[in-house]
Amino acid sequence: MTTKVNIRMSGLGGQGVVTAAHILGAAATRDGLISIVNPFFGAEKRLAPAESYVRISDEPIYERGEVLFPNIIMIFHPHVITMGKCYTMPFFDGLQPGGIMLINSDEILPLSEEEKSKLAALQARIFYVPATKVALEVAGTELSTNVAMLGGLMAVSPNLVTTSAISDSIAERFGGGKFVASATTAALDDVVKSKFGKLEQLVEKNMEIVDRGRQAVHEFLISRAASA
Amino acid sequence: MTKNILKMSPAFADIIPAEYRELVDNGPYGRDVGVAELGTFKELLEEHPLCAGCGLALALRIFLASLPAPEDTIVVGSTGCSSLVFPQAAVQNIHSLFGNQNSVASGLKRALKLRFPDKDKDVIVVAGDGATADIGLDMVMHSWFRRENITTIMLDNEAYANTGGQESGMSQQGTVLYMAPKGKNFPKISMPELAREAGCVYVAVGTPAQPRKLEKMLKRAIILARHVGPTYVQIMTPCPTNYKFKNNETVNRLKGLEKDGVFKPREYITAEAQEALNRLEEVSK
Amino acid sequence: MQKVVSPEHLFFEAPREQVFITGSEAVREAVRRANVDMAISYPITPQSESMHLVGDIFKEGYIREYFRGENEFAVMSAVAGASMGGVRVFTATGGPGTLRAFELFSTWSGARLPIVCAFMTRGVNSPLTIQPDTIEMSYLLDTGMIMLHAENAQDLYDYLLKAFPIAEQTEVHIPVGVFADGFFVTHTRENVKVAPVDIKLPPYNAYSAPVPVMDMENVPFRQMRDPFVMKSNYVSYAAHASWQQEVMAAAERARPSISSYLGGLLEVENADADILIITSGTAVSIAREAVAQAKQEGLNVGLVKIKCIRPFPTEEIRALTKNAKAVIVPEFNRVGWLAKEIKSIIPDNDKVVGAPRVFGGMTMPTQSILAEIRRCQA
Repeated sequence: MTTKVNIRMSGLGGQGVVTAAHILGAAATRDGLISIVNPFFGAEKRLAPAESYVRISDEPIYERGEVLFPNIIMIFHPHVITMGKCYTMPFFDGLQPGGIMLINSDEILPLSEEEKSKLAALQARIFYVPATKVALEVAGTELSTNVAMLGGLMAVSPNLVTTSAISDSIAERFGGGKFVASATTAALDDVVKSKFGKLEQLVEKNMEIVDRGRQAVHEFLISRAASA
Repeated sequence: MTKNILKMSPAFADIIPAEYRELVDNGPYGRDVGVAELGTFKELLEEHPLCAGCGLALALRIFLASLPAPEDTIVVGSTGCSSLVFPQAAVQNIHSLFGNQNSVASGLKRALKLRFPDKDKDVIVVAGDGATADIGLDMVMHSWFRRENITTIMLDNEAYANTGGQESGMSQQGTVLYMAPKGKNFPKISMPELAREAGCVYVAVGTPAQPRKLEKMLKRAIILARHVGPTYVQIMTPCPTNYKFKNNETVNRLKGLEKDGVFKPREYITAEAQEALNRLEEVSK
Repeated sequence: MQKVVSPEHLFFEAPREQVFITGSEAVREAVRRANVDMAISYPITPQSESMHLVGDIFKEGYIREYFRGENEFAVMSAVAGASMGGVRVFTATGGPGTLRAFELFSTWSGARLPIVCAFMTRGVNSPLTIQPDTIEMSYLLDTGMIMLHAENAQDLYDYLLKAFPIAEQTEVHIPVGVFADGFFVTHTRENVKVAPVDIKLPPYNAYSAPVPVMDMENVPFRQMRDPFVMKSNYVSYAAHASWQQEVMAAAERARPSISSYLGGLLEVENADADILIITSGTAVSIAREAVAQAKQEGLNVGLVKIKCIRPFPTEEIRALTKNAKAVIVPEFNRVGWLAKEIKSIIPDNDKVVGAPRVFGGMTMPTQSILAEIRRCQA
């Protein structure tokens, strides 16, 4: 990779957008890349709009704060689109030409004609992944939606980070006292950990979610939809 | 503090101020002197800048004579008349701001515990009624909630005297003062009862009209604060200037207020503090 | 347990490990190695997390005393009491918390207390906001404290650790505020190089204070024959005036140590360019991106990062801006206090452009700085 990738993760509080960003940024760092990760700046509230931002590059990154011009947008919940639970309007505001959108939904979400034509003009690619469904099936908890989304990301952007770096970052994130989560996140961590038992089991199960997420991605072709 | 720190260099003895020499030679540090011995030893207070007849002046003189360990006492004050004497008193004194005295004392006491784990350093807050019951009330009470090992002493002259005589929360209902031109419209705050409920292990309300009794209250409060918990002493100290009575009438006024039931001396002590006190008073016999 | 090493060893010689942490975690790592006796906390966004983490290292035994106070005014008071009692003390606040505690900051300086306080800057009411904004720094400029402004988590770690030996020199002995932009630094995760965990700063020497320590282990005799508090006479005026000047002089005397520990009060890139960007904090990071993009457009732009706001690098800035045609000062606040500072010290100050100014919480777009560069070039 030689260019900087800016990723915006939009979801609802409690879905783990901040944790997903931490894992992704840490994995990039493990792969020898530079990463800067920050959450949306707000009070943490469950089910309120939540965003986090990951910048990855092989050169020093100075920019921080909101990603205004993302190359990849990850939508963790259909309500981001259907109910406008989002910090930008439209939800793909700032998406760069040739950008990618990865949406967690079991079904295709309705987009207006205007949105479709704008996305088509950007030559954006849209992918769906039933991340919550995968999380429920494999781990029995919606709290693993974020890990399934990371799996989906690895399918749509296969050269971003390595699988082993993701695996190590998951182990570090949930394994020891090294990572620090905010108070509310720490409480959710305990729920996640109680679902799994031992660390090895936790990592193994999470990597299974990553794999299932990766396999469950399918592309939605805007051009066909726009003409239909 | 060891008395060695006070020693004068013989080379400078002739230029050392007389009151310093007297403190070295005949001060109360490390000696068992108190109110009964007043006049036989050099007092910590050197003159004072308060008004003639000030109730605070009398109370502070008794307070300084009552200190169980003046050589290891730090007084934390607050803005107001109560703070004016301490630059002239031979104990260390912090005058920080208005109302934050119990917070400063909390930090100081904990710091001294860290630095002198085997020594009792008495941290005593001395502040007026405005500082204690009004502007600093939350910090006073939180130091009690946290069970800080400090003694809080309120010099209650029922007004903001230093700023010219305004109503305070400790003024009696109906009193006409500045900022209460039609008379104060709520009762005097029940600080002793608040102190009791907030975690003070010993609470006393005293008067400088009864010096020996007040001395006993102060000594108890200071000693219990060392190991048992926070303590509170409220001293009635009338203000001749703002309450406009003759400055040779202060003690009579105190006696009159008590006789009329306006001023009520009282004492609360927890079972734990009483037990500690019994042990201590047994040892000292 | 930790071994005491010299500040120079801790800062410059000890090997450093790279960790991927947030600014709040960088506070924890600095305090862990700072041999702090006591820390007092109070929650406020975006600072809270840093003092949670300081609480964690208290539990682990790196700090000897820690508690939560009841409000920022009380906390800053308790910190003052602890410092007067002769221990090394740390706290942190930000935004409305800074304003709530404000009376104490001048008091710390006046009482010559070497307190180190982290300020995680945030907008102040009204209307209510929790977003990043550096306006509180404007209010603090004349409190007498030393003010260092961190660009990122690395700076925050470095400046906090270095603040202790800077503050505690006898000839200085005044508080140091280390400022980091809320969220942009506190909540952002990035690479930070830290010293080994088993070494720490030398302990604070209480008797390095130029004023008596309040421990009754030094002569307590009356401090003043005629206390100047409340007095109206020449001696009291002169005493107060000279005391204030002495606090200012103490900050001036900190210049050499700030300079040697931080590598200068400021840092310059491409000093000879016609257009100079001068800024501090997170705005420096945004400006770095803007400078790089301007270079691609063939525009020659220099960048000055001010690390130390008080004392202000007046002479350095005068010299640097002498030949510049334009000086752009991007800031994360409405009032443009840094632009005002710079305007007040250079003669041809009509070349100072106090823009862009971003406030209310938005991230400063690189494009907004580029737009100013292009305007100055035209």
